Amino acid sequence: MMVNNKIKKIRVGTASCGLAAGGTAVLEALRTHASDIEIDEVGCLGHCYAEPMVEVITNDGKSFLYAGVDGKDKTIASILNLEDKFRFEIPAIRKSKELLKVLKMAGHICPTSFDEYVEHGGYIALKTALANPPEWAIEEIKKSGLRGRGGGGFPTGLKLSFLAAKKAEQKIIVCNADEGDPGAFMDRSLMESVPHQVLEGMLISAYATGATRLIIYCRAEYPLAIKHLKIAIEQIYEHGLNKINDHELDIMIKEGAGAFVCGEETAMIASLEGKRGTPRFRPPFPTDRGLDGFPTSINNVETFGNIPLIIKDGAEAYASIGTAGSKGTKLFALAGDLKYPGLIEVPMGTTLNEIVFGIGGADPDTVKAVQTGGPSGGCIPKSLFDTPVDYDSLKSLGAIMGSGGMVVISTERCMVETARFFLDFTHRESCGKCTFCRVGTARMYETLERIVAGDGKPEDLDFLDDIGPKIIKGSLCGLGQTAPNPVLATLRYFRNEFEDHVLHGQCAALQCNNLVDVIIYKDNCIKCGLCIKNCPVDAISEDFVVDNSKCTRCNTCIEICPKKTIARAKKGAHNQ
Amino acid sequence: MTKFKIDGKEFEAGPEQTILSVAETNGIYIPTLCYNETISRTTSCFVCVVKDAKTGRFLPSCSAYPAEGGEYESSSEEVADMRRTALELLLSEHAGDCEAPCTIACPAHAKVEEYVRAGREGEFLESLKIIKKRIPLPMSIGRVCPRFCEKDCRKNVTGNAVAINDFKRLAADLFYDSYMEELPPLTDKKVAIIGAGPAGLATAYHLRLNGVAAKIFEKKAKPGGMLRYGIPEFRLPKAILDQEIAHFTEMGIEIECGKELGTDFTLTELSSKFDAVVAAIGCWKPGSMYAEGEELAKKGIEWLEINNCGGENPGRTIVVGGGNTAMDCARTAIRLGAPTVTCCYRRTENEMPAEAIEVHEAKEEGVKFEFLTAPLGIRQENNQLIMTCQRMELGEPDASGRHKPIPIAGSEYEIEADTIIAAIGQSTDATEEFGLNKYGNVRVDLGNFLMIGNIFAAGDCVSGAATVVEAVAAGRKAALGILRMLKLTDEKPERTINVSRGHWRGLSKNDLVFLRDDVSDEERTPLDMLPLEKRVSTFEEISRTMKPEEIMAEGKRCIECSCTAKDDCKLKEHSEACGARVDAIPGKKPTKSYDTRHPAIIHDKMKCIKCGICVKVCKEVVKANLLSAKERGFKTEIAAAYGLPLPVSCTECGECIEACPVGALDWKIKK
Repeated sequence: MMVNNKIKKIRVGTASCGLAAGGTAVLEALRTHASDIEIDEVGCLGHCYAEPMVEVITNDGKSFLYAGVDGKDKTIASILNLEDKFRFEIPAIRKSKELLKVLKMAGHICPTSFDEYVEHGGYIALKTALANPPEWAIEEIKKSGLRGRGGGGFPTGLKLSFLAAKKAEQKIIVCNADEGDPGAFMDRSLMESVPHQVLEGMLISAYATGATRLIIYCRAEYPLAIKHLKIAIEQIYEHGLNKINDHELDIMIKEGAGAFVCGEETAMIASLEGKRGTPRFRPPFPTDRGLDGFPTSINNVETFGNIPLIIKDGAEAYASIGTAGSKGTKLFALAGDLKYPGLIEVPMGTTLNEIVFGIGGADPDTVKAVQTGGPSGGCIPKSLFDTPVDYDSLKSLGAIMGSGGMVVISTERCMVETARFFLDFTHRESCGKCTFCRVGTARMYETLERIVAGDGKPEDLDFLDDIGPKIIKGSLCGLGQTAPNPVLATLRYFRNEFEDHVLHGQCAALQCNNLVDVIIYKDNCIKCGLCIKNCPVDAISEDFVVDNSKCTRCNTCIEICPKKTIARAKKGAHNQ
Repeated sequence: MTKFKIDGKEFEAGPEQTILSVAETNGIYIPTLCYNETISRTTSCFVCVVKDAKTGRFLPSCSAYPAEGGEYESSSEEVADMRRTALELLLSEHAGDCEAPCTIACPAHAKVEEYVRAGREGEFLESLKIIKKRIPLPMSIGRVCPRFCEKDCRKNVTGNAVAINDFKRLAADLFYDSYMEELPPLTDKKVAIIGAGPAGLATAYHLRLNGVAAKIFEKKAKPGGMLRYGIPEFRLPKAILDQEIAHFTEMGIEIECGKELGTDFTLTELSSKFDAVVAAIGCWKPGSMYAEGEELAKKGIEWLEINNCGGENPGRTIVVGGGNTAMDCARTAIRLGAPTVTCCYRRTENEMPAEAIEVHEAKEEGVKFEFLTAPLGIRQENNQLIMTCQRMELGEPDASGRHKPIPIAGSEYEIEADTIIAAIGQSTDATEEFGLNKYGNVRVDLGNFLMIGNIFAAGDCVSGAATVVEAVAAGRKAALGILRMLKLTDEKPERTINVSRGHWRGLSKNDLVFLRDDVSDEERTPLDMLPLEKRVSTFEEISRTMKPEEIMAEGKRCIECSCTAKDDCKLKEHSEACGARVDAIPGKKPTKSYDTRHPAIIHDKMKCIKCGICVKVCKEVVKANLLSAKERGFKTEIAAAYGLPLPVSCTECGECIEACPVGALDWKIKK
């Protein structure tokens, strides 16, 4: 196969997203056909919609991206010839809105290469920290205004200072890598792409606080992240970076078994102790009495990923980005009804408009809302999309920053069903300890199920209004304290949709099967009979009338109709 | 010491004292289910919440230490609402039977399961004592009760109900005369009761058991009310009634017969002479057929009064009506030698208010039934009566749920008879001094049966014509109302909650909880009936009391449905105290089942409130660590490892059972 001689090296994205899209085949094919060229595996560039991705770097330092490639000879040949066919340009608007700080190295370095990390500026921050007294690092982090990226938004510097102030036989730092929100993959990407950056943050924190035990609590469903972290930890040991202040730090990975609640710090501690992962009442806070009774500070992956930036560039530079109360950048996992789903990094304070319509390329005409903060967050209507994204603005709207999930919701989706969907996850993930969370969320969920099934009553809305805040007030941990958010926020902004269901038996989005009819509009019908033939329940008569009592709303006929003359309609709104 | 406030009052807490512990020390009621002082905090039920007035946060007081200068709300409506909701959420997932359905069904709430158990064990005196706590007329009720309890008996799932009422009858037949209740000394209070029927007698009985003397005024010649004058001899022999009422006199209850309200005294007079008055005047006014010439018909209740122990042959007899009085009239007429007895009812047999067994026995004895027919008029011709009837058809159900009869035009026909008896209901015959409701019955506060001032009313005159057991139940409530008014008891009006697995019709055998291995599958013991030819010709009692061995065998059929922890359930206790309602929050119950595989312990996961106490007790106190929580969310359950039964290796120390706030873990044996 012809290989263009300008090519210096090739990078193939083999983070989970790349592998899932077929990156392995691409990598193998390239290695077969261009065995002379350096071919590196790199992490994620954040363009999920464009995977698998390949970057070709030429001798003159130019970089060409190829997207949506596969391992077929033709494709590989096209890449190796630097042809235009699979050439990919990052959308200009994304380039203008995005600010890659934490993810700067992601997708550009080999995650398992210690040297590449160092070449790109890695471990300068650790050296800088070690050259100063421990308090200096904490002061810098405090000054930077960094707040916990796991969702709570507690000032990180303050949290670390609590641990530093403790005198104890042993102090522990835990990295919370139990990223559990469905659709969130910020932490996974970061760990897979730049594991050393997270570990460097942990090492700096250990120095600053006097902690000697470092644990990464990572969900077992992240095998690649775990693999990369393990390699990185070995490299840290090899290079002696774990020797700080005459102490040899103990760094380990604990694989979580997949309970969402274990992302909560006290539940995580219980899990680390080998107990059932359930939260406990605070105080005592983990910094007073944590894992095995020792002072423990738990911070999120992304938080640790930010720390080297602060130490390396200085708190002032870091704090120059963002809003008054929320500094730096934030990673978001963009998903839902938009053109460019993926992992993005933007300065705090970027508006939802810029993210959803700009970076995400969503269609302003069909977007209805965005759910921030994962299943514990809330839906924000399009009318409020000029809101700057930061901890406090989102909270004031009844949503949360959460860990950074962002799901765009189009007008074709029913908000009641959306709320039900999110609560379906949280109510099942409740650890079952607190009454309000265990039973309350189950009752909320049943109520929503009834409403979307068309069996809702006006009193159901009163019940949701009443029980939601009580669950928030009467739960020990963040799971219960946020689980009602998607429901309460949708009740706040989309109450009309709930009322449509319970008062009029209508679903405006035509999503709730029990509240819609399927209609064949005969004007355009060419009587091809495809609908009749393909209907799995024989609900369409010979004269092209849908028997809606038989119809299961499977959408087969709608999708198969060549004239697009079959559609969902409001129940009882049309007489055929 | 930490100084802080609960509901504005200052308290001090030691270093290890939580808000709950300070409250408990100072006698402030904070409900809690998951707190147990022998183990580390579980902080799970959230029933003990208080509000931190400064932060607005709700804190579980079992785990929260007071802050210096902290102010906490424990009795505000907001806190009460949170606690109530926590309890209602727990109740919504709590599946079981607090009380056995028989006891709930019994209008007097007699502890059926307990007296059946005593009967099973041959302890008939003990059985009688339990019965008489709620039913002071066990000889009569043991014979004439329509057996509400048996209709809800869970044994119906697999066959026929336990013959519950026969336990009363035997226990009373054996020990009624020899058992005298403990009577406290009399106070100086005295109560007048008008009417010596079941309601009046029951009121007097319960008053006397609480040291209050009662004098009963009875207008008829003998006491007993409907028991004597309404119910025929063959269902309730008058000798037995006499025996039963004699006990009341022995207790010191004064009964003065021949004294009638309105003639001999007025309510006002009694009200001023006595500390309280109870009107238990019954339903003695016969209902009208609204048919022309109805004066030619006998009134059912009046006719029975004359004929219920014997009388003249009424000839060909028509009884109009479908209630128990109609059945009594028809069956009495048979015994008096009537050649034909026909019962005319305007609806069908399904709608008949009479007990099915009465209808069945009436048919056995030869009573003929004409359904869907209503009288239009009666006339006399040549020494015989001719009743014009009209055929009916059933329409839509009315307010009572029964289908309304609608006349069919042109369907008139005539029947001949020598005697026509109209048994179409009775109503209250009250004097002008009474306040009546829209049904013509005496209006009272149903919490304490108070009518006005110190005048109470109970029985049929309040409820409309009903059963003996309902009258007896009302009598007890009126007595409690009087005792409270006279400040002789501080017992609050009962607010009891009852969680139920539901009616037996919705259950299968797998849903039943068997605590004993010896629950018998035998058929129900049939009642020994008098031979039919004797039944139709004499007024002898139609059935015989079951024998002790029969009752003991029958008792083995009882499943014992009530919760083992019904008298020791914190969920019930706090729900009652906090006003939590069982059905406030609808929703699915857990699908877990109870586990009776351990020989001595029942583990009923449907009752479990997941407080986690048992897990911690077994781990931290017993050091055995045999239990743990499994699953997540609503499916959370407490179980032994691998879903196996509780290991028999467990030493049966009972610590978990003692600590369980509900009946999720308990001994199989009921005490």
